[in-house]
Amino acid sequence: MNKAFAACIAASVLSVNAMAEQAFMAPLVKESVLLDVDASEYVVIVGERGHILISSDGETFEQVEVPTKSTLTATTIQGDNVWAVGHDAVILHSADRGKTWEIQNFEPDLQRPFLDVVFFSAHEGIAVGAYGLFYRTADGGATWQSERHASLLAPMDREYLEDIKEQDPDFYQQELNSILPHINRVTPQDGILYLAGEAGLLAYSENGGREWERYEVDYTGSFFDIRPLDADTLLAVGLRGNMFVMRDGVWEYVNTCSTSTLNSVFVASDERVVAMGNNGMLVSAQRPLPVSEHDPYASTSRCEPAKGIKTRQVDDKAALLNAVQFKGNTIAVSANGIKIMNLK
Amino acid sequence: MSRITQVIEKIVFSNRKLVVAVFAIATLFLGYQASQMRLDAGFEKNIPLNHEYMQTYMEHRKDFGGANNILVSVCDKNGNIYNQNFFDTLKNVHDQLFFINGVDRSLVVSLFSPSTRFTEIVEGGFAGGPVIPADFDSSNQRALDLVAANVEKANIVGRQVSSDYSCAMVTAQLLELDPQTGEPLDTLAFAAELEEQLRGQYENDDISIHIIGFAKMIGDVADGAKDVVFFFAIAIAITAIMVFFFCRSIMLTVLPLLCSVIAVVWQLGLLTSLGFGMDPMSILVPFLVFAIGVSHGVQMINAVEKQAVKGIGAKRAAMGAFRNLLVPGGIALLSDTVGFMTLLVIDIGIIRELAITASLGVAVIILTNLLLLPVLMSFLKLDEDYVNKFDGKERKSEAFWNVIAACSRKGPASIILVVTAILFVFGYYQSHQMKIGDLHAGAPALHESSRYNQDTFLITDKYEVTVDYISVLVETTPEACTSYSVMNAMDDFQWKMENVKGVQSSVSLASVAKVVNAGYNEGNVKWQVLPRNQQTLVQAISRVPTSSGLLNGNCSVMPIILFMEDHKAETISRVVDAVKAYRTDYETDDMKFSLASGPVGVMAATNEAVKAAQTPMMMYVFGAVIALCLISFRSIRATLVVVIPLYVVSVLAQALMTYLQIGLTVSTLPVIALGVGIGVDYGIYILSTKSLELKQGATVQQAYLCALRERGSAVLFTGITLAIGVSTWVFSSLKFQMDMGILLTFMFVVNMLGAIIVLPALARFLWWKRNDQGA
Repeated sequence: MNKAFAACIAASVLSVNAMAEQAFMAPLVKESVLLDVDASEYVVIVGERGHILISSDGETFEQVEVPTKSTLTATTIQGDNVWAVGHDAVILHSADRGKTWEIQNFEPDLQRPFLDVVFFSAHEGIAVGAYGLFYRTADGGATWQSERHASLLAPMDREYLEDIKEQDPDFYQQELNSILPHINRVTPQDGILYLAGEAGLLAYSENGGREWERYEVDYTGSFFDIRPLDADTLLAVGLRGNMFVMRDGVWEYVNTCSTSTLNSVFVASDERVVAMGNNGMLVSAQRPLPVSEHDPYASTSRCEPAKGIKTRQVDDKAALLNAVQFKGNTIAVSANGIKIMNLK
Repeated sequence: MSRITQVIEKIVFSNRKLVVAVFAIATLFLGYQASQMRLDAGFEKNIPLNHEYMQTYMEHRKDFGGANNILVSVCDKNGNIYNQNFFDTLKNVHDQLFFINGVDRSLVVSLFSPSTRFTEIVEGGFAGGPVIPADFDSSNQRALDLVAANVEKANIVGRQVSSDYSCAMVTAQLLELDPQTGEPLDTLAFAAELEEQLRGQYENDDISIHIIGFAKMIGDVADGAKDVVFFFAIAIAITAIMVFFFCRSIMLTVLPLLCSVIAVVWQLGLLTSLGFGMDPMSILVPFLVFAIGVSHGVQMINAVEKQAVKGIGAKRAAMGAFRNLLVPGGIALLSDTVGFMTLLVIDIGIIRELAITASLGVAVIILTNLLLLPVLMSFLKLDEDYVNKFDGKERKSEAFWNVIAACSRKGPASIILVVTAILFVFGYYQSHQMKIGDLHAGAPALHESSRYNQDTFLITDKYEVTVDYISVLVETTPEACTSYSVMNAMDDFQWKMENVKGVQSSVSLASVAKVVNAGYNEGNVKWQVLPRNQQTLVQAISRVPTSSGLLNGNCSVMPIILFMEDHKAETISRVVDAVKAYRTDYETDDMKFSLASGPVGVMAATNEAVKAAQTPMMMYVFGAVIALCLISFRSIRATLVVVIPLYVVSVLAQALMTYLQIGLTVSTLPVIALGVGIGVDYGIYILSTKSLELKQGATVQQAYLCALRERGSAVLFTGITLAIGVSTWVFSSLKFQMDMGILLTFMFVVNMLGAIIVLPALARFLWWKRNDQGA
């Protein structure tokens, strides 16, 4: 609790300095590196250099003044409230649909970025990021408390930590701070929170992320998104085109024949999902997803994708980060900016 | 003045044979020297070396190479590079270029260079290797497939491989000094080797070779400049015919041409003796010298004839002509010389060379055409028949002169002046729209349809590279690339510059470090930032070699390379202005954002130097002309009537440049000075007679008619001769020669018209008390 308090103090002091940093209003902002998008009745897009764009019609996007230049990696909408998080452990909040922004947290010395943010209500939310970074608020972001979840560790690492916890509590804290994996994505659905992270980390929580249960999956590379497709099916995507599907509690491999890292899953319909990723790759898969044996040493040049899986690349081959459906269009964000497409 | 003339006349004409002998010996000697003349082109001559930007450029040239590079695109005519023949050819081209003398061998880059590597992110970290493996066998389709996959992983499509996979690039940097001799690199020999050893050997039905870069461009310019000999022959032929019609005597035709050719020989010989070569960019100067020589020669035969009509024999006629013309001819040629000399104030090597070449040539004409020519003519026998024939011609032209003389009557004079004023206002407005720099894509010296420019268009079209880039050099402390604040400032500045209209894209160590950092984080774009942690930053930067051209050995200097949409002057100045505005936000005592390197950096400096030189050059050249007129006529009015038409014409010439979309560049800048320097001749010749008559009490109208009778035909003739001489350049294969030809033709003709139409009209009103009744 002390630590969280200290963080709050630090944040309020630093935010004063940060106020001097204003994002540069750039003509090319729509073609800059944009990293996340969320939509309800309006659209919010965030990206590098503190860029935030808002739109009410999904066609015209307006860059708004933001009191930071730190790269923003994720955003979430909750009614009229919007939060955006990113590097330098920055957390921004807007109460007016993204028109004006204030800093709720800014800790450059932490040298850790937030990589995702979700809110369960207008008051309760969590922001997650690198090295197990995990902040929670119960008051709409006025104060944020840091949490550490050793339960996210792989079983061997957890045993190691348990060992030193008894012998040397200080060293335990130090190790806990650096050993935790990156948390790349949290997805809430029907009261359950799903999590995707570094080094084969997939987990879920039934109490808003206070306690975590790790899934067992036969892959040690990183996952970047996890998403429930229906009550019985979970889909996770990650490094080098890896796609895994869980039905009946077992994770199975889906061969995409692509080696481009997949960043996000877009649910196009009940029949089809699209995973998007680096090099502008779009992997479209028919449900139910076909599974196959996972052979990490298989040659990619003579690979036949499973039935119902099609891959294509967008023209500029820019990495696709995420996409939302809004007013009949799919609005995607990429390393080359906004891309309006139709994935439905 | 006249006493000096008399003394010179006496000395020269009492030792005629000696004079001819001295000239003959000098011509033999200088002719030998001229035969040793070589074409000489250098990159640095074309740039303003003392300009602030170029100082930066020179200082860091060793680390980052200069703007002097060569791009060779090897293209497969079937549109796909992945076949055995193509890769064998590409390898040969790479090796051949590597061994051409003058190439910096450490900086030859293609698919075959070991520095062309790919990296990919795998679960355990990075994997990578050379794009073309050491055991590459071009006959094996599998090997070609592997290379194709590696090319994708290496992310070099658009740079080393064209976006449509039909071409691949070999690039090289040139050394400034020849490593074998230690002398400056012979760019023309180098260009010839490129043409022979690359294009000559490897271009065939399946493969085309496209070469661009300064050295190739100047080589092509030099090849085009060789047409000049042909133009020279045509100009001599046309001039000879015209002179013959003017004087109706073969001997009188041969002599002025001979003297003018001697002037050209002397000029070339003297240049060689002084250690200069002939630059392809100033190859037109001998033309000018010849044309000026002929025009003064014509004045001389005209004067001799006028004397001869009096029936006083060739020798005395020649002496009289010499006496009459030494002062006005000398003044005219002196003002030409001074006009050319003013170009010396422009701090660009090639313009200075032009100034020296041209002023030397014109100074030589004083000797050959004002001295040698009358001496030679004094040996002629002018028989009665000829004198009578000439007399008859005089009477025929009398009617014509009476019409022209009306220009000095009140009515016509008023109309002339009003029209001139309107033209001036219009021209003045237009001349301010004149653009600085090159207005068209490709190499401005060459036509758009030339092979070189076609190659440029192909390369810029098929690749994402552009030859139009400018580097801003971040000069800071050693190891500064490991400092977050330095790198962050660079990154921020770079982003602001990317947002400037005209900047297409950019790259710097900071932007590359961000991508590498994402690479260290599993290629996750969310990590595409500069790490604040110094170790992490060092880790990211350590993957960027100095051969990337993004940092020097101790990373105290790092360029930010801005790729531009084009090299139009307004684009360049907008980008340069933005650099100057934004950098103030980031510069500290330890960090400077210095302009500039790269081809567009050179253009920026050249444009600024040319723009800055324009006004002083005009002031100097007009200052010189005014001073010389004041000295020779001792009259402000006389000076005004000569200078005003001259000024109007130079303004109109600038308006013409706007209209024809000819930018003010290193090659067109001297044209106005040349035009003014030569254009003043007409006014001086007309006025030298006219002011003499005025001093003796004649009215303006009488004096003008007298001047027309005395000099009119020669002035008209001179203007036309000069114009014909330079107008043949319009057919040149070099764009800049064409531009210069058009402008000089315009200036010669219009200045001539100014002298015989506007000058008398002005005189009518300036000497308002000295008019005929009712005029």
